[in-house]
Amino acid sequence: MKKVLSVLLVAVLAVSLMAGCGTKGDSVTIGIGQFAEHGSLDNCREGFLAGLAEKGYVEGKNLKVDFENAQADGAIASQIANNFVANKVDLICGIATPMAQSAFGAAQDKDIPVIFTAVTDPVAAELANADRTPVGNITGTSDKLPVEMQLEMIRKVLPDAKTIGIMYSTSEVNSVSAIEEYKAVAGDYGFEIVESGISTTADIPLAADNLLGKVDCINNLTDNTVVSSLPVILEKAAAKNIPVFGSEIEQVKIGCLAAVGLDYYDLGKQTGLMAAQVLSGEKKASEINFEVIDEAAFYGNSAVASNLGITLPEDLVSSAKEMFDTISE
Amino acid sequence: MSAIISIILGVLEEGLVYAIMAMGVYITYKILDFPDLSVDGTFPLGSAVTAVLIIAGVNPVLTLFISFLIGACAGMLTGLIHVKLKVRDLLSGIIMMTALYSLNLRIAGKANLPIFSQDTIFKNAFFKTVVPKVLQPYTMLVLLLIIAVIMKLLLDGYLKTKSGYLLRAVGDNEVLVTALAKDKGTVKIIGLAIANAFVALAGSIYAQKSGFFEISTGTGTIVIGLASVIIGTNLFKRKPFIKANGLFKKGITVKATTAVVIGAILYKACVAVAIAAGMEASDLKLITALLFLIILVVSNGRKRRVRAGD
Repeated sequence: MKKVLSVLLVAVLAVSLMAGCGTKGDSVTIGIGQFAEHGSLDNCREGFLAGLAEKGYVEGKNLKVDFENAQADGAIASQIANNFVANKVDLICGIATPMAQSAFGAAQDKDIPVIFTAVTDPVAAELANADRTPVGNITGTSDKLPVEMQLEMIRKVLPDAKTIGIMYSTSEVNSVSAIEEYKAVAGDYGFEIVESGISTTADIPLAADNLLGKVDCINNLTDNTVVSSLPVILEKAAAKNIPVFGSEIEQVKIGCLAAVGLDYYDLGKQTGLMAAQVLSGEKKASEINFEVIDEAAFYGNSAVASNLGITLPEDLVSSAKEMFDTISE
Repeated sequence: MSAIISIILGVLEEGLVYAIMAMGVYITYKILDFPDLSVDGTFPLGSAVTAVLIIAGVNPVLTLFISFLIGACAGMLTGLIHVKLKVRDLLSGIIMMTALYSLNLRIAGKANLPIFSQDTIFKNAFFKTVVPKVLQPYTMLVLLLIIAVIMKLLLDGYLKTKSGYLLRAVGDNEVLVTALAKDKGTVKIIGLAIANAFVALAGSIYAQKSGFFEISTGTGTIVIGLASVIIGTNLFKRKPFIKANGLFKKGITVKATTAVVIGAILYKACVAVAIAAGMEASDLKLITALLFLIILVVSNGRKRRVRAGD
């Protein structure tokens, strides 16, 4: 036992020694922490690296990227953030709210700038002041949903619809605030919102059956839990011939009828450009206000439309940033 | 500060917070022989209560005590469900854990409540002015060490009292407790209350350390707790841990509570090393499971050898 332990201990020390010996030269090291794994956040990360590359920070050349995914576990997110800080990375990028908060919490007073992205409400998350100025050595981009444009689009596609069902997880702040916003403006477009809160992925099939019995269409937020189980909802909705609207490109790709949404790749890219400014020393993170993407694009899926027997309005199709004619798995 | 030192610093900080939680799990799992899953709910309960109270302007130090008490209440409920309603131990924990998930969301009002802009026990004007700048990176560690040691000594002290003795008796030999004309149900309820008080206190400290309450931090608390207890207690099973020799006249014995604290730190060190070595977060649970298994098998092997020698 003692031998086993001492071998283990030596191994632990050796690994931590190696981990500690990052060489720094001309190249910079950044830590990217992503809270969960799904299409939008992955796109965000790719966009982020593209933005950095545009400004001359190319991964593998003069940029070392330490990427970690917390798999939606809050304790792991904080561990990841602590590791980045301990390894003294030059900058931390936190993707999605809990990861951004963990990074900010860990890097506070440690002189490591934090750039966040895909945070719906940075002010509510206390990552920025109400006037968009930074609360510390932190800035980034928000992925606030274009709620009114989405409702306007749904009205155009379904002129007779009265109720919109929205499923969300009660444990995600972003979704809760999005629901509030939908409820506040839905009346202006003649809709009534039927919400259905869930706690875990396991609740989704039952909640979907229940919701589909009550609504004319379903609208999807960027809720991490719901999005990761979207295929389940899509299948059930298709069986009942009820259209499902998405909130961004990835969701339309896998079978939502249409979406007015952000391009997370663009969002990530915008964030990457901000990070480049910080890395080059042009500006400090504490001097940059957080940014939002004002433009939202229309995405449609014609294969889904023909399955449902719906024709997407011509003006929407012609203005689309991207139309899909297949449903990808 | 070199990277290694700051990694060690981070591990010690995280480890000490979870050590307080692990002491709670030690009470239920090792002493009471009660696999109490309610800790997955009481840890974030402490965080939620603390975040709400701090925002309401309550003194951060006071929130530690309040969290402790509220955790005790939650633990007491688990005990009542088990003892009075005669629900099996594992199930009463699961029921409490599930109920607390919703309750925590109700208490905090939402799933994520930041307190970055508020004063905490770690971040306040007092420390900023009193502690010299060079030493400031270490204030959190020192403070955590003090709290952890106080809690450990309190627990050690309690276990030596009559009530503490009964607690140990319930886990070892329920008949003895009945023979002493004591109600073993009450003893179990007290044990669960103390255990969950420790866990909620850890949750409170965790929220103040990380700067926000987040509902997802509760998931898997029991796994971390069990891992810490099992690593710690198995590591220092031999009494004395180091036999008497020239260097140590009496040998070194390690108290179970100390072992649990060290276990928690070692567990966090393993996780940190796994992440630093490039392991995916998605594989971490598997690593934990393997670590569990190895330690259990190694310690079982020793037990068998001892028996064979008898």
